[in-house]
Amino acid sequence: MAEDLVLVVEDTEAIARALRAALQARGYRVSVALSGAAGLDAAATEDPAAIILDLGLPDIDGVEICQRIRSWSDVPIIVLTADGTEHRKVEALDGGADDYVTKPFSTPELLARLRVALRRRRSVEGEAVDPVLHVGDLVVDVPHHRVTVAGIDVDLTPKEFAFLVFLARHPGRVLTHRSILQAVWGPEYGSETQYLRVYASQIRKKLGEDPTAPRLITEPGVGYRLVERAGAG
Amino acid sequence: MLLRHRPLGRAGGAGVGILLVIVLAAALIPFRDNTSTATDALALVLPVVAAAWAGGRLAALVTAGAAATTLEVMFLPPFNTFKLDFFDDAVALGVFTIVALSVGTLVALEAERGQVAEQRAAEIESLYRERRTMEEEQQRLAAEKRALELVGDYRSALLRSVSHDLRTPLSTIRAVTSDLRDGTVYDADTRNELLDLVGDEADRLDRLVANLLSLSRIEAGSLAPERQAVPLDELFTDRVRKLNRVLMDARVQVDVPFTLPLADADYTLIDQVLTNLLENAARHSPPGGTIRVRAREHEGSIEVTVSDQGPGIDPADDARIFEPFTKGKGSSSSGVGLTICRAIVEAHGGSISVHSSDAGGAHFVFTLPVHRA
Repeated sequence: MAEDLVLVVEDTEAIARALRAALQARGYRVSVALSGAAGLDAAATEDPAAIILDLGLPDIDGVEICQRIRSWSDVPIIVLTADGTEHRKVEALDGGADDYVTKPFSTPELLARLRVALRRRRSVEGEAVDPVLHVGDLVVDVPHHRVTVAGIDVDLTPKEFAFLVFLARHPGRVLTHRSILQAVWGPEYGSETQYLRVYASQIRKKLGEDPTAPRLITEPGVGYRLVERAGAG
Repeated sequence: MLLRHRPLGRAGGAGVGILLVIVLAAALIPFRDNTSTATDALALVLPVVAAAWAGGRLAALVTAGAAATTLEVMFLPPFNTFKLDFFDDAVALGVFTIVALSVGTLVALEAERGQVAEQRAAEIESLYRERRTMEEEQQRLAAEKRALELVGDYRSALLRSVSHDLRTPLSTIRAVTSDLRDGTVYDADTRNELLDLVGDEADRLDRLVANLLSLSRIEAGSLAPERQAVPLDELFTDRVRKLNRVLMDARVQVDVPFTLPLADADYTLIDQVLTNLLENAARHSPPGGTIRVRAREHEGSIEVTVSDQGPGIDPADDARIFEPFTKGKGSSSSGVGLTICRAIVEAHGGSISVHSSDAGGAHFVFTLPVHRA
């Protein structure tokens, strides 16, 4: 972990320098690119373990950079968005970004997202897809169509189950409304976010969610994220 | 000329007709023994024509009646009675009545028709005028709409630019402070670097706020320089020293002759012009490049030049660059700094321009008035 290379693509030098210091202090190696073109070069030649990418670069649009990197690499990408508009985040996530942080951001929060992304990459690299998914004390046994929370069975309908499986396959990662709808309902869906609201609330009820520390987190205007419950597992 | 239909009205027309009948009759009576009936009858048709023209068909009818009666009583023997001596005279009276009525009707109809045609022409003309007025109104509204849209564009460009420019330094400040708050342990050098970053960004916010205040004063039309005698060498040296962190990657030369007269200017505003030009130069200067600030007396005013060794400015952009929210390619500036420079310099009665030299680099030149003691 200590030797992971993180590529920071950010045109604002001050932020790039602050990120470099924060990342180096935590043992990462850091490479900084001050433009989109330099970022693409570095992503291709330096084989980073993760990329922190500013969406508002002056030369190439950040969403396009995501898509281009995705065409050859599965490296986790965390985007920094400044405008606060939801559609940019959704575009970036649909374009292949793993997560986003809104500027002005808190460095510890960004680093937490980075750790999740790096862990996920290792788990994907390490083994074949495990048919039994663990997210904290939540266990989803895909072949047996069985869900338990702290060992207690939870009874879900097939659609609720499919929804939860999709989220559990990408723990900690924000999944857009569109990607969930297409994975669970089918490719002809994409805008029926009201389905998701209903199913998410059903799943929360059945999992016995604590509203102050939910596992299934709503990212308003963007999508959903399944995390380990704070203090659990 | 436009003729009104029945210019004297029905009663007026009939009155004129009858009056003319009386006048003609009075004029002809002395000669009635020597004139033929045809002469008297022809003369008496005239009042009918006049009545028809002036009062329309009804006036013609009344006048024809009066003329026929006058002819019978005054001009057909025996005179001054309603009797007729000869069959020929009875026929003549009948023919006269028919002719007078016909002529009167025709004249009245013709007058009416001409009048209707004129009325139509007038209507068409007024319609055309109305249409022209409407078209002009439409154009005026379209122009107003365009102007409002421009204001709207300007406002949204300002908001976009400001929110981006305010947020960028805030992002750095928040990133660093949240990191330090998290208890990350840094060596002394890194810690100092991070604290400098926060300080620099806070300074940048301060400069941005100063620019925004000036911009709002410019927009409100209340940018009035408080003139005093300004020693430019002191102002330049002080500003360069304060911007040392912004200018740290460049070499800065201040070239102001000892003999330069004092400028008649608002210290704070000219300081802002220089700040914006230096910041602009630093943004476009290559690392290690030279930024020169030079002042000379020229044709009774002071000419200040700020030049860098950056890529220069496309000649096509020379004038545009002072417009609000115009940024050079890939520039991270807010696009208001140079607009403010121009407004301030012009408020001092000076001018500002930019050109690129053959050797490359942008040269901003502005003039200031000399202070006369």
